[in-house]
Amino acid sequence: MNHFIGLVGTNSDKSTNRQLLQFMKQHFSEKATIEIVEIKDLPLFNKPEDKTLPPLVKEVADKIEQADGVIISTPEYDHAVPASLMSALNWLSYGIYPFVDKPVMITGASYGTLGSSRAQAHLRHMLDSPELKARIMPSSEFLLNHSLQSFDEENNLKDLEKTEELSNLFDDFLVFVNIVNQLVHAHGSNKKAAANFSWENQ
Amino acid sequence: MKFVGIVGSNAEKSYNRKLLHFIKTKYQDLFELEIVEIKDIPMFNQSNDQTHSEPIQKINKAILDADGVIIATPEHNHTIPSGLKSVLEWLSFNIHPFDGKPVMIVGASYFNQGSSRAQLHLRQILDAPGVNAIVMPGNEFLLGKVKEAFDSNDQLKDANTVKFLGSVLEKFTKFVSLVNRLEAPKEEPLPKEDLHATNAIDTTIADVDMAAEDWVEQAAKKVNAVEGNTYVKLNRGILTVDQINTFLASMPMELTFADENNQFLYYNYTKEAADMLADRVPGQVGNPLVLCHPERSLGSVEWVIQQLRSGKQDAVRVNVPTHGPDKFVVHNYQAMRDEEGNYKGINEYILDFKPIVDWYLKQTGLKLEGEIDAGSGASAKDHGVDAGSGATAKG
Ligand SMILES: Cc1cc2nc3c(=O)[nH]c(=O)nc-3n(C[C@H](O)[C@H](O)[C@H](O)COP(=O)(O)O)c2cc1C
Ligand SMILES: Cc1cc2nc3c(=O)[nH]c(=O)nc-3n(C[C@H](O)[C@H](O)[C@H](O)COP(=O)(O)O)c2cc1C
Repeated sequence: MNHFIGLVGTNSDKSTNRQLLQFMKQHFSEKATIEIVEIKDLPLFNKPEDKTLPPLVKEVADKIEQADGVIISTPEYDHAVPASLMSALNWLSYGIYPFVDKPVMITGASYGTLGSSRAQAHLRHMLDSPELKARIMPSSEFLLNHSLQSFDEENNLKDLEKTEELSNLFDDFLVFVNIVNQLVHAHGSNKKAAANFSWENQ
Repeated sequence: MKFVGIVGSNAEKSYNRKLLHFIKTKYQDLFELEIVEIKDIPMFNQSNDQTHSEPIQKINKAILDADGVIIATPEHNHTIPSGLKSVLEWLSFNIHPFDGKPVMIVGASYFNQGSSRAQLHLRQILDAPGVNAIVMPGNEFLLGKVKEAFDSNDQLKDANTVKFLGSVLEKFTKFVSLVNRLEAPKEEPLPKEDLHATNAIDTTIADVDMAAEDWVEQAAKKVNAVEGNTYVKLNRGILTVDQINTFLASMPMELTFADENNQFLYYNYTKEAADMLADRVPGQVGNPLVLCHPERSLGSVEWVIQQLRSGKQDAVRVNVPTHGPDKFVVHNYQAMRDEEGNYKGINEYILDFKPIVDWYLKQTGLKLEGEIDAGSGASAKDHGVDAGSGATAKG
């Protein structure tokens, strides 16, 4: 069975994105294990010159390294990814490259009607930069709008159609992970490329 | 103009910081730039509101007080640094200092794309409803390959880059003027003026018909007004009423007093109407201002009083060119205020400036240049406060 990391894209105590990942963990427990990982205790990225990473960053990086894939659920702040998630990604590409070739599924929840669509586009863009270079599942988007009203007391998604949509996407993700993991040939050199890639040397 | 420059990096070393310092000194003739740092601002957290902490309030105030903002952004992972995003989140959560604020984006990066993607994102973020800044369109300033861009004195090496940056910044100052005019709060109309003087004040003499020809006599009787050789104590001095009259009559101008109730109470009567610069007749004294002016000029009269009462202007001056080229007659409407600054009415003095200017030229040996344009110099012209609309005898 595949093992995934569910990365909570916010440092907020209350989060419908966290709720969504918890729902997925439980709802898809027959198909995969999902370990929920928080970013809320990571410090704000400040590009330290000596490139030392906080221990917690290394811990998260190891978890991602060992997982078969990552599900990131992002809120939308000011039409973009929250600073806390951006900061986590900055750390996770600062001299370490756990995301290179890692299959990633993006989900997002927002209070309004658009369901974080702009933040998700922004996140794709970030994950595509040379030092992250994740393998993002193409042509898929799971937008949970009006997220404050979406869950019942048992933390189940109330909307059955939405639940089915999510299930189908998750099945696709399982296939996608399989395919990506067969594309292993280039992986070694991709990793090297990322490691050798340095903005400093451009 | 006063701008704030936000260093979009919280790192110890930053080329974007260097770029802002260069802008600050190189273009100080265009604007004043206050550079603010973001490194003390904590990570945004929705569940731990620190809006009122000192570093956030400091940047909030700097932005609110500025005419415009310049943001210098690095590029991390194809977007703006998380530290800068965090600041923008604080400034769009419970406070919104960017609302309607003109913003210009610049950016430096190691790569030859020069932070192009970060700048594009920053535009989108600044456009989000919680931020609602007004970003100058076009005019990108991307400084690529930044490590080679500065000389050892932190000056940009390339003359064309310096020239281009100057032209973009100049455009920004124009953009700022434009936006700030657009965003200026709509002015509340000033309260109407009661030109009929119906709101009696403490000094209004009650139960005398303001329109009466002999208002002065009736009113004097009513309050036992002193006259002749009676002494009056003034700030600062003592004069008899006769001396006050002599004194005011000698003033080289026509003086008129209207109180804050818009009642015409006094003029220094020395000449008959036909010989005056602005004709008045003795029977007019006591009238509400509505009776002192022709119907067509009441609008301008009201406008002038509104300016003075509200304090928007302390004096309104109007040149009345109908006296021919040998005179330069100016109606001066001067607000009168008590020691607390309360509006107490209008001191209108009408004066021919020509002899004063002539005397000045003669004394100094200077000469005037150019043609005399009859209508020029009337600051209140746009409001129709024009020739003949001052207080004039009716009929
Ligand atoms: C500073 C700030 C900016 C926000 N901007 C947006 C936005 O641009 N679009 C949007 O849909 N929601 C916006 N929201 C509300 C989010 O929908 C909501 O906070 C989040 O996406 C829900 O995710 P969560 O429950 O996991 O926190 C904003 C919230 C904050 C605090
Ligand atoms: C985590 C990380 C990611 C970066 N990603 C980018 C990038 O996507 N594009 C880019 O042009 N530079 C990137 N850089 C290098 C930047 O050019 C450089 O850090 C910055 O823009 C220079 O500005 P500064 O000196 O003000 O920090 C990255 C640097 C770091 C540390």
